[in-house]
Amino acid sequence: MKEIVAIIRQNRINQTKESLIAAGFPAATATRALGRGRRPVEFDLLNAINENPKESAEILPTLAQGGRLYPKRIISMVVPDEKVAELIRTIIKVNQTGNPGDGKVFVCPVNDVIRVRTGETGPAAIDEMNGSNGR
Amino acid sequence: MIMVRAIVRPEKSSAVMQSLLEAGYPAVTKIDVAGRGKQRGLRLGNVVYDELPKELLMVVVHEHEKDFVVRAILESARTGDKGAYGDGKIFITPVEEAYTISTGEREA
Repeated sequence: MKEIVAIIRQNRINQTKESLIAAGFPAATATRALGRGRRPVEFDLLNAINENPKESAEILPTLAQGGRLYPKRIISMVVPDEKVAELIRTIIKVNQTGNPGDGKVFVCPVNDVIRVRTGETGPAAIDEMNGSNGR
Repeated sequence: MIMVRAIVRPEKSSAVMQSLLEAGYPAVTKIDVAGRGKQRGLRLGNVVYDELPKELLMVVVHEHEKDFVVRAILESARTGDKGAYGDGKIFITPVEEAYTISTGEREA
C-alpha cells in the first residue's frame, strides 16, 4: 500500500474531489497548508537590478520578501500498490495548468492500515479505493 | 527521496524557513498543528495545557541531503544554546516517487 500526498492549488480542490470520486477513489483526507516552491527568486527583478543598479534601492525590499508562502491544499489518500499510477494520473490531469505552482505529488510507502470500525487490516481496510475496475 | 517533517515552535518557524531558504531548500509546506510531547503538555500551577500549538514543516529532499537539512532545522529551531523542552521533533520517512503537477514530470 502507498500513501499519495498531493499538494495542490486551493481552487482546484472541488474538481479534484469530483474526479477522484469519478475515478473510484472516494476516500481522502484534506488539509490546508501554506507553502513555497523551488522558485523564491524573481529573475526579472534580478535582471532589472543588474541593468539599473542606481535605482535598485527601491526594488530591494521587494526582493527581501523572497520565499513568501502561498495557501495550498494537501490531499492525501492510501491506495493499493497497483492503483498508484491510476490515481497519480487522475490527480495530475485535473490539476495541471502548466504553470509553476500547480503542486507536487509524493508517493510514500505505508506498512499497514487498520479500519477502526471493524479492526480489519491490510488491503481489506482500504477496499473502497478500488479505482475504475470496482465500478 | 525522503520526506522530512519537523514539528517546531510557531515562533521559530520563520527562522527555520529562512535558514532552509539560505541552505538552498526553498520548497517547504507549513501546516498549523496542535500536540503534546512526553512532558504531557504544559502545567502552569493548576492549569494544564494538554495540546500546545506547533507548526509542522514538510520538506522533500534527496537522501544525500538529509544530514544537511536536518542540521539546518536543528540549529534554527533550538531555543537557547542547549535547547528546551517543546522545541519539537523531526521525523524522516521514505518517499518513493515525486511528481511536479505543472509538467507531469517524475523525479527520483
